Amino acid sequence: MSRDSNYDHHISIFSPQGRLYQMEYAFKAASSASGLTGISLRGKDSCVVVTQKKVPDRLMDPQSVSHIFTITPQIGCLATGMIADCKAQIQRMRYEAADFQFKYGYGIPVHVLAKRIADIAQVNTQSASMRPLATVCMLVGVDDERGPQVFKVDCAGHYLPFFGTASGAKEQEAMNYLEKKVEEMKDYDADQTVRTAIMCLGSVLGSDFRGSEVEVAMVEGKTGRFTVLTEEEIDAHLSFIADSDA
Amino acid sequence: MASSGSGYDLSASTFSPDGRIFQVEYASKAVNNAGTALGLKCRNGVVLCVEKPLLNKMLLPNSNRRIHTVDTHSGIAITGFVSDGRQIVNRAREECSNYEETYGTKVPPTVLGDRLAAYVHYFTLHGSLRPFGATALLASYDTETKEHCLQMIEPSGVSYKYFGCAAGKGRQPAKTELEKLDINKPDRGENIDVREGVKQLARIIHLLHEEGKDKPFELEMSWLCEESGWEHKGVPRDLIKEAVEWAKKDIAEAEESESEEDDDDDDDEEMNE
Repeated sequence: MSRDSNYDHHISIFSPQGRLYQMEYAFKAASSASGLTGISLRGKDSCVVVTQKKVPDRLMDPQSVSHIFTITPQIGCLATGMIADCKAQIQRMRYEAADFQFKYGYGIPVHVLAKRIADIAQVNTQSASMRPLATVCMLVGVDDERGPQVFKVDCAGHYLPFFGTASGAKEQEAMNYLEKKVEEMKDYDADQTVRTAIMCLGSVLGSDFRGSEVEVAMVEGKTGRFTVLTEEEIDAHLSFIADSDA
Repeated sequence: MASSGSGYDLSASTFSPDGRIFQVEYASKAVNNAGTALGLKCRNGVVLCVEKPLLNKMLLPNSNRRIHTVDTHSGIAITGFVSDGRQIVNRAREECSNYEETYGTKVPPTVLGDRLAAYVHYFTLHGSLRPFGATALLASYDTETKEHCLQMIEPSGVSYKYFGCAAGKGRQPAKTELEKLDINKPDRGENIDVREGVKQLARIIHLLHEEGKDKPFELEMSWLCEESGWEHKGVPRDLIKEAVEWAKKDIAEAEESESEEDDDDDDDEEMNE
């Protein structure tokens, strides 16, 4: 470690130990920058993304604070990390999805979009001029051939499909929670998927929250659209969870 | 208090070991040294206001503007490096005219704000460029939904919508004052009116300005409201003058009533409008 000269910390080149420091720092920025945790999981025929909604300033319009984005009507994305980098990533995703639709005449499948964005992210880890984007994105959608899909794309350009995954500050705790439920999750219907995601966030944060403090979005069924749940819908799920616990 | 950066702060394309980009943080510091800019989203319009320090007695009044119109329905107030700010304004003007040429309608506020934010963000990605040392307060009106909107774009490329926002030297006390105003009531109809907004912003600027310490300044104000026909225009000079007079009176009365708190009749001193 002490043999690594400072030079390695500036641009994307290997350290004598064989590590890419800039990429590791980008990961750190992505998980700690916003302090938020995001969770996504898939059930039998639906996918859900959940994250906290923290409005940093009382003078801000809460509607403009969101980490959940629609890429196409069928594909949505939860982007954790530095919000400006997230928006840049999202913009590129939207462009790639629209370009695919234009060239091939059908909606881009989730795994194709994930791979494309991951390849683009990888370029920044190899070039000297641009830094990696401090963003971890979870893409969700219901594919007509493969069913519900959750893909996590990170700063390094890794992309992997998951049954359930998390990113951000409490990533590890959330993943531990989900691992215990992974076998049952495969048979969950839409409501169960949403409730499990919300409960996971609740247990990881260690406190209860109201509908206005979380953002939830989901895609249900092969013809489903990516929709963001309203506060009332979230409150309904929260009440159901509270009643079944009591 | 400030970390030394020690080599990680030389370019915008470098992360520090704890995941920060120092160049972007330093760009924000550049903005914090400049004159205060305020924005207020009122019930029936948006008001922008900039405190412009007068560097030289020979300058013509109302020259060297900080508030610019980018399209009939949009205006930007800049604080920080004015030359950097001018670039952002130019880009906004291009975006507006391109959008109108392509889509045949005025660019919606969210689209304009997002595009400007993406543009500013781009300069935080490349090692060969430096981030903008300016914050832009964007007031605009959506001709389709008839909604007015206030956004602030920071040097990091982050942009949010606001009810009230402040940037520059006096932003902390300004934000405290803004929070006291009626701008985020659940019943929108109870929110502050645009003319009242003009007066309140003038008051906040004068409150923050310390006579002996800061340079003499000029107050630039603009609004985008029903009264201006939903076009971004400068607030009429006589209205600014009226607002400044009211503001000075209000501040003086507040100081008087504070100094009389030792007496028993402080309840009699009401804040008159």
